[in-house]
Parts: sequence; structure tokens; C-alpha cells
Amino acid sequence: MKRLVFFLVMLLFLSFSIGFSQTLPPGIPRNETLILPFLFAPLPVPGNWNQWAGWRAQNCGLHQFATEALWTLNPNVEEGGIINALAAEPPIYNEDFTKLTIKLRKGIYWSDGVEFTADDVVYTILTVRDTEGLDYHGPMQIVKNAYTVDRYTAVVELNKPNSRFHTYLMERWGALRPMPKHIFEKVDDVLAYDFNPPVSIGPYVLKDCDPGGYWVLWEKRKDWQRTVTGKLFGEPKPKYVLFINYGTAEKNTMAMLRHDLDALQGTAEQLITLLRMSKTTRSYRKNWPYIDPRDISTRGPGFNHLVYPYNNKDVRWALALSIDIVELAVSTYDGMVAMTPGLPLVVNKTFYEWYFKPLEPWLEELTLDLGNGETFKPWDSRAPWRLLEWAKKNYKVNIDPNNEEEVRLALGYGWWKYAPDVAEKLLKKNGFTKKNGKWYLPNGKPWTITILRGPDPTDMANIVILGVAEQWKKFGINVVFNVSAASSTLALNGKFEVLNTAHGGFAGEPWGLHPDLYRCFNALKSDFVKPIGEATLGWGGRWSDPKMDEIISQLEVTRWEDEKGIIELGLEGLKLEIENMIAIPVFNCPITIVFDEYYWANWPSPDNDYARSDNYTTWPQLKYILHKIQPAGRK
Amino acid sequence: MSFVKRYLIPRLIQYILVTFLGLTAVFLFPRFLPVSPIEQQLAQYQTFGVYVSPEQQEEMIQTLKQLYGLEGTLWEQFVVFWKRLFKGDFGPSLSRYPTPVTKVIGMSLPWTIGLLSVTTILSWIIAVLAGGIVGYYRKRWMEAFDIFVMIIRPIPYYVMALILLILLAYVFPIFPLSGGVGIARGLTFSWQTILSILKHAILPAFTLLIVGISWQFQSMKLIVQSVRTEDHVWYSRTAGVDDRKVVFNHVIRNAMLPMITQLGLQFGSIFSGTLITEMVFAYPGVGWILYDAVMKADYNLIMGIMCISVIAVTTSIFLLDLIYPFLDPRVRYR
Repeated sequence: MKRLVFFLVMLLFLSFSIGFSQTLPPGIPRNETLILPFLFAPLPVPGNWNQWAGWRAQNCGLHQFATEALWTLNPNVEEGGIINALAAEPPIYNEDFTKLTIKLRKGIYWSDGVEFTADDVVYTILTVRDTEGLDYHGPMQIVKNAYTVDRYTAVVELNKPNSRFHTYLMERWGALRPMPKHIFEKVDDVLAYDFNPPVSIGPYVLKDCDPGGYWVLWEKRKDWQRTVTGKLFGEPKPKYVLFINYGTAEKNTMAMLRHDLDALQGTAEQLITLLRMSKTTRSYRKNWPYIDPRDISTRGPGFNHLVYPYNNKDVRWALALSIDIVELAVSTYDGMVAMTPGLPLVVNKTFYEWYFKPLEPWLEELTLDLGNGETFKPWDSRAPWRLLEWAKKNYKVNIDPNNEEEVRLALGYGWWKYAPDVAEKLLKKNGFTKKNGKWYLPNGKPWTITILRGPDPTDMANIVILGVAEQWKKFGINVVFNVSAASSTLALNGKFEVLNTAHGGFAGEPWGLHPDLYRCFNALKSDFVKPIGEATLGWGGRWSDPKMDEIISQLEVTRWEDEKGIIELGLEGLKLEIENMIAIPVFNCPITIVFDEYYWANWPSPDNDYARSDNYTTWPQLKYILHKIQPAGRK
Repeated sequence: MSFVKRYLIPRLIQYILVTFLGLTAVFLFPRFLPVSPIEQQLAQYQTFGVYVSPEQQEEMIQTLKQLYGLEGTLWEQFVVFWKRLFKGDFGPSLSRYPTPVTKVIGMSLPWTIGLLSVTTILSWIIAVLAGGIVGYYRKRWMEAFDIFVMIIRPIPYYVMALILLILLAYVFPIFPLSGGVGIARGLTFSWQTILSILKHAILPAFTLLIVGISWQFQSMKLIVQSVRTEDHVWYSRTAGVDDRKVVFNHVIRNAMLPMITQLGLQFGSIFSGTLITEMVFAYPGVGWILYDAVMKADYNLIMGIMCISVIAVTTSIFLLDLIYPFLDPRVRYR
């Protein structure tokens, strides 16, 4: 009897519970809700949406839906380029770059029914300039004045010439986006204002958020037509969009298997697991290498150029040539990566045309001096094909090896030859010795490389650097790690020998879809090199060259729309970086993304390439592609 | 009077002194971290590819120093710290500037207190009773239970939490995967909301209960095994006192004294949260806030959380000291 009662109680409990295990409540239909990962959860201050006043974990939907920039990257990487968002035209500078005219799009409204005008733009620029503590307060100090010419034209006057001022107002992953003047002008303290609920200029409005900050729910605006999305792209399909972080990687994997998550960006292991365990999941590619390789940043070890022996070009080249790039790709990402030899030389169609093609003949001819009259050409144009050969033995692959462009855009441009014998010659030329398979410094002490890295083992930069360390150990160099939560501070202060590279770790990341490399090179200006122990305002690696200074100066007076001139200078800068091997970029950041087709279909793929896949996980351009996905028909 | 003079006053002085030293350490330690809150802020810009020119970074550094109150000598900052502390003000959070630290903590602390106070008390009661009974009686099923606890105890918390999650939130989707409350429910005072909060708390609470019970159970069992061999217990049993009375009045009551000390200390640590539980279950709480503050060198937030924790621990110990004489006559008569 007791057992029967126990059983009935448990049954009651279970049936009572099951309803509550569902992610969405009644009234929010799952088939009308797109559930996306909230990668930088939790919200630092749930209920504070004032993103002009600091970090608000903006990719919770805030920068996707509530705000809009004047100009933005095109989410369609095949088309490439910058599109006019709130602006109606590209930036217009006067002759000496001291005046910027901004023409605005008409008929755009905030979600509370007030029209967006030039007053919002002028108010934003002047408020940020005059309010300490607001983001972009520093960059706006160059502003002398800002005013409206008419309802849809704003003018910004600058204290000194700056041909790249508009890039502060241009969306990559972050920009100074216009504030709703009619809301903020009534606030006493702009910095302390929580902007709750936020008034949106994008196609969705805030519906609800987790008091713990792990999820944020957005609802489509009834007047979505009066947004940039509505005017340029069409109606976003989902009625609701939920950004949610379920916690650890395992839990996000479980959530997708339960169809409680429609897209997931994580590690290679997560990707493989999800593709194997669910019939409704898929990645960007149907077959290996599965991932979308077209992120606009690169990864790989960087050096401190003020620390011996990393201030020696031969040593840096030797370390590059002791890496077997195919082995590294396989050991870190199961080969699902695109290799690149240049810091800002990201792998995508536009950079392939703008930079890689013109650079390739130079790469082929690049020659190293090994001493004793011996030379070596290090470029391995066929490295992606070697990776392809490996893959064919292990996976089903449908990349045509005879289609050069297809191979290079999927697996990378090429890399350096695996030449430990040449590396050995370069080191011996500089007095290094090898005994019993171990390398010794010229002073006779064993050579140990200390690599500075952050604590997150799932960080792509950390995954790569662990693989690189194995390669160097195999070559006979002892490698140890300095794992520290303070890695950013230590890097800025030059307290490292070698570091892994997180986003922007080398220098600024490129626009990716515009050829301008000014933001990448400027951090390498010699003025910013500081002694060890003093925080630098430029690149932590502390490399500089008068030739690079000259390239930076020329870029400063080259117009943004002069793509030919920009590319020429960009190529010069790239050659200088590569020739000096100032760091060893290895891969483009792989977008290891998985989509679930259970509730939503028509995700991007090589055959239906309407967007880079990570627009679905964290990028602000998400709003421009939501008209593309389709309900899968499930209730 | 002699109780006040010989017992209360020395403990009160000790309490004030320990609290002062603890709070001073809380002020000093974050400042010895190799992380700088301002450089972390700049690094965050870089992390997301936001480009700020070096000239403008210089300007930002100066502004942030001023805003964060990091100007002035260490002594000047220490004086400001105490002045603020007496007003219950820890200043603004540096990583969530300009949100006040009290607001940041206030948003998370109720969740932590709610979860941990219940699990701490429940696990203590269950462990004391179960440990007392198993330690005194030696029946077969009790030994089996003891072995079961011995197996459970060494399992790392993270692994156990994950196993329970896989079982109860994935294989049998009974409980929600994460969070503190259901989506789009809002934090209104309604039956549905209360039910939703309880539902979300069950799994994290269950894992904390298992861990809490298992280690306290073993402590209690060992103490009881020692107490049961003492003379007064033998005397009671040979005098024909009912076995239950012996267990509860003479054995458990004596054995639970060190357990009360443990409970007091545990109560103090409630205020620093439980990081792994919060991370595994994506459950709101102070633990993650503290972790994030350490990572970002948010001195004010670290100080805010740690001050509450230090005061809670020292106050718990002080209160225990005051209560002890009532629980243990030996202390009263000493």
C-alpha cells in the first residue's frame, strides 16, 4: 500500500512538473519564437539598458534590436561593403577632413512613435562629448561643434583633421549609435539613467528579462515598417526573439537537443556532438569542415618585441617554421579552420580579392636568409590542399580540389612550410644550440618559452595556443603557461614573452568588408611603444618600424572611399608585418555554429549564402537577416 | 555582572577587532591584484574589436581614474572607505559604473539567501538527525546508508550537478535547465511566480542538500560514535532510561555542539554565494557577481560583497559565543 501511494505521489509530481520544464510560457508560441544564444550573459545590471553608459552585455538583443548605427557592415559577406543604415548616404567630408556632413534616412521612427531626426544625432554627439564616463567620451573630444542643417542633415565640425571620424559612428561590433533625444534630454543624469524600458529604433521591443540576467525576450514592433530593417529588407519572421544562456557548454548542448535553442556557437566538440546526436541540426556546411570560416578576426601567438630572444626576427621565423599547420589545425579544431599568414588578413571573398591575390606573388618570392649564403622560400601555397587530403581520409568532403578559390576560401589562403630543419639553421645562425633534442639559448641556459594566456579553456585563442605549444615542444623547446585572469593588464604592461591572442590582441581587427586597415596599423605606431612595466596605448607586442609609421601617416590622408589607394597602403603594411613575422597568426577565428531546423529553417549555407552565420549569435546586423528564416511548420 | 565582565565584554572586543581587521584586509587585498579596473575596461573595448585611438585612450584613463575614485594615496582611499562604510555606501561598481554597489548586491543577494539559507538549515537538520541515529545504532540498512554517503561525498560537485541535470532536466525533462524564474513571468507576487521560483530552485537546492548532508552527516556520525561510549551514556542505559531518550537527550544533544559552530560559520558564508551552483544552473546570485568583480578588478564591488560576508561571519561567531552558555552548561559554569 505504501509503495502504491509513493508511486502515485511520484506520478502526480512528474505530471505536475513536466509543464514547468518547458522554456516558454503559454502565450509565447514556440513556433513564433526564435531562441538564440546569449553569449556574454549574464546582464551586468538587469533592467539597465543605457548602453551609452557602459557595458550592458549588448548582444542580449540590445544592439541587435534597440539601437541602430548610421552605417554598418553588410551582413552578406558575399556582397561585402558598408551599407547606409540610419544614414541615407555615405559620410561626406570637406577637403581637409575637419567637417563631416551626415545625411539621414527619412521615415524612421522610435518605438514610442517619435520620428528619428538629425536632432538625435547632434544631441548624441554633443552629450557624449560633454559627459564624462559615457562610452566614446574620449573619441568625441575631437568634436568642435555639431549642428543640424535641416531635419535630416547633421554636420560635425572637428578640432583637427580626421578622415576616419565617421568610423566611430559605424557599426562593426560596437559604435556610437544615436540616442533618443526626446527621452534623454529630460533626464538629469544621463550616466545614471537606466533607460528602462528601452525605446527601440530597431524592429523589436523589449518584452521581459531575467532578474538574474540570463535571458532577454523581445517582441516584434507592430510598426516594424518604420525601421531601417523594414525599409531595406522586409518583415522579420519571428514574432518573438529570446536570447538565453543556459549556463555551461553542456547545458547549451542539452538545450539544443531539447529544441530549446535554435542556434549555438561553441567549440568543435559541441558542433560534432550536436550534428551526431540530432537529426534536425546542421551547420553552415553540410559536410566537413562544417564551420563558417569567415569571421573578421585572426588568432595565433604574439611576441613581446622588447624581450630577448623574441626581438630577433630569425627566432620568430624559426618558431613559425617549426609549426606544422595541418597538424595544428587537426589537433585543435579537427581541421575545421581557415589558415592565414597575416594579422589582419582575414579569410573571406573581399579580402581574398583585395589583399590575398595581389600578395600571393610576393609571398611566393619571399626569401629568408639562413646564413652562409643559404636562402629559403617559406611560403606553402598548397597547405590548404594538404589539409583537404587529410580530411578526405576521415570525413565526407565536397570541396572541389581543382577549384582554387573554393579551397582557399574554405580552408585558408596557405601558410608557412613545415621546415624544422630550416628553423634549426635560423636558430643556430643566432648562437642557439640543440643537445639531446632540447634547445639551449646562446648563453647555454635551457630555452623555455612562457606563454601568457587567460583562464577560459574554451576560448578559441587558448585552444590554438595549446596546440602551438605542443608543436614547439615537439621541436625541442620547453613551454610553460602563465595562466592569469589579469592577462589583459599584463599584456598592456608588456609583462610577457609570448601571448595567445584574443580578439584585438594583436592590434585593432579589420573591418573585414571594407579594405581600410588603418585601425589595425595605427596601434603599431612607434609613438606608442612603452617600456616594460608601463601600460602602452598601442599594441602590447611593442613592435614598430619607421616604414609602418609612414604607411599610417599616408592612410590618415587617404579618403575612406579611395579603395584603390587604401589597398595599396594596406598591402605595403601587410608585407612589412609578414616579412618581420611580428606575430604568428595561424587561423581565422572559426565560427563553429550549429542550427536546429526543428522550428526554423532556411539558415545560411554555401548554397544560400545570405549572411555570415554568426550574425545569428552575437552580431548587431541580426535584424537585417530575420526576414530570411522560415518557420519549419511545427506547432 | 561577572558574566558580562568575564565573558561578554572580552568577546565583544574580540568581535570588533576581528571585524576591523577583516574589513581592512578586504580594502587592501583587491588593490594588490595584478589587474587594473581601468585597463580591464580598455581591454573590454579591444575584446569586441571596438577601436579607440591611443590618444583618446589616454584621455579615457584619466577620466576613469577620477570617476572611479582611484586618485589619491592609499591612506586617503582607506579613510574614504571607512566613511562610506558607516553610511552603508560602497560607492559605484567600477565594472557596472555608475550603478551603486548596494544596488548590484541587492539584486542578487535575495536569490542567494533564499537558496542557501534553506539548504543550509535543511541539510544541517537532516545531517544531525541522520548522523546521530546512524552513529548510535548499528543496523544493517544504516550501514548501507553510510556506505552510500561515503560513495557520494567524494564526487566533485560539478560532476554530480551535471549528472542530476542530465537525468532530471534532459533525459526526464522534469525540471527547467536553468534560471531563477520562468520566462516572461515577471517578478510579480502571484502563485504562479512563487511556483515558478520554487520549481527553478529545486534542482540547485537538491544538489546543495546532497553535498551539505553528506559531509555533515559523516562529521556528526563520528562525534556520536565517540559520545556514545562516554560514561554518562553507559550510566543512562544501565539505569534503564529509554533508548530514544538516551539518543536525543544525552547523545545527540552533546554531539551537536560542534555542529552548531559549523552551522554558524556556514551562515556567515552564505553571503559570498555559491559560484559553481550559480554557473552550472545559470542561477542568479552573489557568487557570480563576486567572480566577475575579481576578474574585472571591481574594487568597490569586491569590498561590498566581502564586507557583508566578513560582518556576517564575525557576527555569527559572536552570536554563537553568546548562545553557547545557554546550550552548554559547562561554558556557563566556567
